[in-house]
Order: sequence, then structure tokens, then C-alpha cells
Amino acid sequence: MTQYRTVNLPEDLCGEAEKFLTGRFDSLEALVSFLLQEVVKDTARKFDQAEEQMIEQRLRDLGYL
Amino acid sequence: MKKRSLVLVTVDCLRADHVGFLGYSRRPVTPNLDSLAKNSAIFSNAIVAGAPTYFSFPAILASRYPLALGRDLLGIAPHEPTVATVLQEAGYKTAAFVAGNPYLSRRFGYDQGFDSFHDFLGSEAGNEPIAPDSVAAKKPSKLNRWIQEGSRRNGLAASAYDELYFWYCQWLSARENIPMDRLRRYPAANVIVDQAQSWLSSLGEQPFFLWLHLMDPHNPYYPLEEALAALRLSHITARRARFLNSFWDRWDVGTHRLKRYREEILSLYDAGVYWVDKQLSRLVEELQHFQRWDDTVFVVTADHGASFLEHGDRYHGPTSLQEHLIRVPMLLRAPELAGRHFSHGPFSMIHLAPTLLDAVGVSPPDSFQGRSAWEQIATGNLRAEPAITECIDGCFNPTRLDDRMRPRLMAVRDQDLKLVINFSEKQDYLYDLKNDPGENSPLPPGIRTRERARLFQLARKHLQRTSDSEKTDLRLRAVLFELQQSGRMMGGNASA
Repeated sequence: MTQYRTVNLPEDLCGEAEKFLTGRFDSLEALVSFLLQEVVKDTARKFDQAEEQMIEQRLRDLGYL
Repeated sequence: MKKRSLVLVTVDCLRADHVGFLGYSRRPVTPNLDSLAKNSAIFSNAIVAGAPTYFSFPAILASRYPLALGRDLLGIAPHEPTVATVLQEAGYKTAAFVAGNPYLSRRFGYDQGFDSFHDFLGSEAGNEPIAPDSVAAKKPSKLNRWIQEGSRRNGLAASAYDELYFWYCQWLSARENIPMDRLRRYPAANVIVDQAQSWLSSLGEQPFFLWLHLMDPHNPYYPLEEALAALRLSHITARRARFLNSFWDRWDVGTHRLKRYREEILSLYDAGVYWVDKQLSRLVEELQHFQRWDDTVFVVTADHGASFLEHGDRYHGPTSLQEHLIRVPMLLRAPELAGRHFSHGPFSMIHLAPTLLDAVGVSPPDSFQGRSAWEQIATGNLRAEPAITECIDGCFNPTRLDDRMRPRLMAVRDQDLKLVINFSEKQDYLYDLKNDPGENSPLPPGIRTRERARLFQLARKHLQRTSDSEKTDLRLRAVLFELQQSGRMMGGNASA
């Protein structure tokens, strides 16, 4: 079951952000969750790691790691 | 002491082997730059940090490898320090005139740090409507679509249809008489230099940074008729150029048929290079006229090269990092650099931005991944270091996230050896450039193991360095910027 956490945000910032909601997001929570998901996604890092692993394997094959 | 000014000229698609000062002798395409080269430092092995344009420019202006902030960002990150932002903060007047390359526009953050930024993509592009490149580019009629769909059921019929349709379009095109100036897709160098001159005339005594990006050698190849005449190529008419560009753009024919037109395509390309050279001489004269030449550092280079059927390739897509794509000309003119020619080891373009700032006496920011080579250049003792270049393999449309989420293609370019790592294929290729400059035969796996491992170690270090978390703030800003720009927030799932 998903656990939730309460985060305190400045009232005026929430007010500004709520202007984005109309017709796009149900709530301020939905907007903040969407943004955080985008931020932490970092798909590129998966590529970087896979590429680094391939190089390390080649170095092992060559006897240099 | 008076502050030095800086002029950076980047020429899209300019190959190192098509400028006279680096040995091109087929046609006198760069007489003015050749003359200027005698009073400059020239580099035979300037290697871009990425190709094409969208993977090359983060290094040129921000000294940052193209994938160092991940794959979410295309261009310059919001608030990322660049040559322009640093010089603007140092009190310089700054202006950019970019000849209509959308990947170098405001949309991708390239306007940051410029008091005056012109990308020639809107109303500046000119009033004259651009004619279609070929009739085939127009929407086919209902009848044509019906025949086309029918022919697709049989391979031979499909080829026959493509052939017939191409020549039918050429027949239609030949009946139109569209001048070269209307076929050209980008503002020519004279338009850009005119605007730059106008801006320079408004400056007074202030130090300045001027960036010009010229597109004349970029495909489709429609040079000015004056340039063709100067190179004794007037027999290539606008009609012929239209045919050549249409044929060169065919993907349904083999290399052997394209080869028939290669020489003429190269003639058009050379005429574009000639026009750049001629217009840059006007710019130099203007700087001399305003008595700004002696205190100006003047740089001419390119973002990448171009393919003319080497290994069967055309244009400059991100599917290869061969020499004709990653080796670019570089000319760095400052009074103390006369006669320097660095012909040996590679000079990575990751070092260009800090070197230029150093040349004008301004400290490079910590965020730059390259380091200044100014002192080494000024003393004639440039230390050769392997250069790394990278792109996302097959990323032809970088505005699409799916296209960016692909494995990278990387090359480690040393003086005589070059390691190309294709992460899509999980293959690597080691080339001996001294004996195989055309990169035709990679060395067998068991050969030169030590050198191969050394280049692999550099590739590994590069990946570790560029994926570190030091620039998390820039990457996050880039993610948010992309979210806003791409309209993903507008289309956000209400239940997200």
C-alpha cells in the first residue's frame, strides 16, 4: 500500500501553481506528483549505466580490469 | 588596458578538408581565409564534441559534452553559463546572428547571454516565399497515391513507380523557372554579415562578443550564382541545381547511381564555402574600418562536416562519427598567434569556450568541462590530448523524446588511433588513421590491445565524469524547461 507524506509549501506558491490546474490536473497534489515523477525519472542514467557496463566488460575481456 | 573583443564564426557543415588553409586545392574556395590563416593559429585536427549541430553546440558555447546533462535536454540549459552569458556579465555587448538553424534558436536556449539575438526563423527570414525543393515534395494527387499504393504490393513495381514518379516530377520542375535565391532554404552569408555590420556600427568603443552562424554549405545546396561564377561553375543553373538536390535526396537508389552526381553536388557545396569566405572578408574589413580589428580575437570553425558518399553516406546524420563529420577547420586569429600551425594531435572543441574567454582575459566558469589551452597555443606548445565525440545513435529528430532515448555512439580520437564504440550494436572498432585515413578497415580485435584498452579507459572516464551528479540543478531546470516547452504540462493527465 502506498504511504503518503505531508509536505509544507508556501501558500502563495500553491496559489500560483493552482492556476495551472484548470482542466489539466485534478488537484495540486496531482500536479506536484506529476512534476516529481518527471524529475526523478532520469531514463538517461539507465543508458549511461548500461554503456559503462559494456566498456567495463570490454576492459575485462582485454585483461585491463 | 583595453578589453579584447571576440568574434566567433561557426559554419554549418564545413569540412576540414574543404578549406585551402588546410590543404584543399581543387578550387580556390577560401582565398581570404587562406590569407588570414598566415596571421593566425590554425588547427588541422579540431574535433567536435558531438555531431550534428544539436550535439555539437553545447560544447562550442558552453564547454559541455552533449549528453552530460542526460537526454532530457536539447540545447543550452536554463541559466547554464556560456561564452555569451559570461561575457555579458563581464560588461560586453553581445549579439548573435544565426542563419535560420532551428536547433540554434531561442527554443533551445541559445539566446541566453545575448543582448541582441537573431535566429532568422520568423519575420527576419525574409519576405520572399521559398519555393519547394522539388515537385515531389508537393502532395501527390489522388491518382498518384492510388497508383503508388497499388505498386507497393510488388517490389519491382514499387521501384518502377518511384523511378517514373521521380522523372515525372523532374519534368514538371523543369517547366518552372525558379531562381536560385528562391530555392535557398537559409539566409545567405551576405545577409548575416550585413546585419552584423549594422550592429557593429552601433557599438562605439565597448568590448563586444559577436557570434555568426552561417549555413551556406548546408544542404540543400543552392549557392549564390555569383559564387558559382567566381569558381567557373556557371554552367550549373538553378534548374540543374534543383535536379541535383532532388536526385541527391533520393533514398530509393543505390550509391552507384548517386555517384554520377557527386562531383556536381561538391561543386555546389564548394560555392557555398566560397561565399562564406567572401562575406567574412567583408566582416574583417568592417572591423578594420571601425579600428576594432587589432583588439579582436577572431575565430572561424564549424559544428560538423558533411558526407559525400564516403561509406555510402550523405548529409550529416547521427549514425556515424567518421573523420569527415567530426574533423572541422579551425582558425584562431589574434595578433600574437601569427604563423602557428598545429597539425598533429587533436584539439577538442570542448576546450574552445574556455580558451576564447582566456584569450580575451575573462575567467572561464567552473561549470565548463574543457580547460583553456590559450597559453599553450600562444606559446606554440599545444599539448595533444585524445578528444571525445558523441551523439545518440540514429537520433534524427531530437525534438522527440523517443528519438533521444537511444544508446549513444562515441569515438575517442587520438593522434593516429580512433576507437569508435557503437553501444546499439555493442561493438567497437579501432582504426589506424595514419594508414587508414578513410576508416575502411578496423584493426582486428587482437591487435594493439594496450592502446585499445587505453582508449577504452578514457571512454569509461568520460562516462563517469559526464554522469556525475554535480550538475543536478541544471539537469532539473532542463527537465522543467522541456516540460513547459513541449506542452506536456498542457496535456498532462488529469489523474496523474
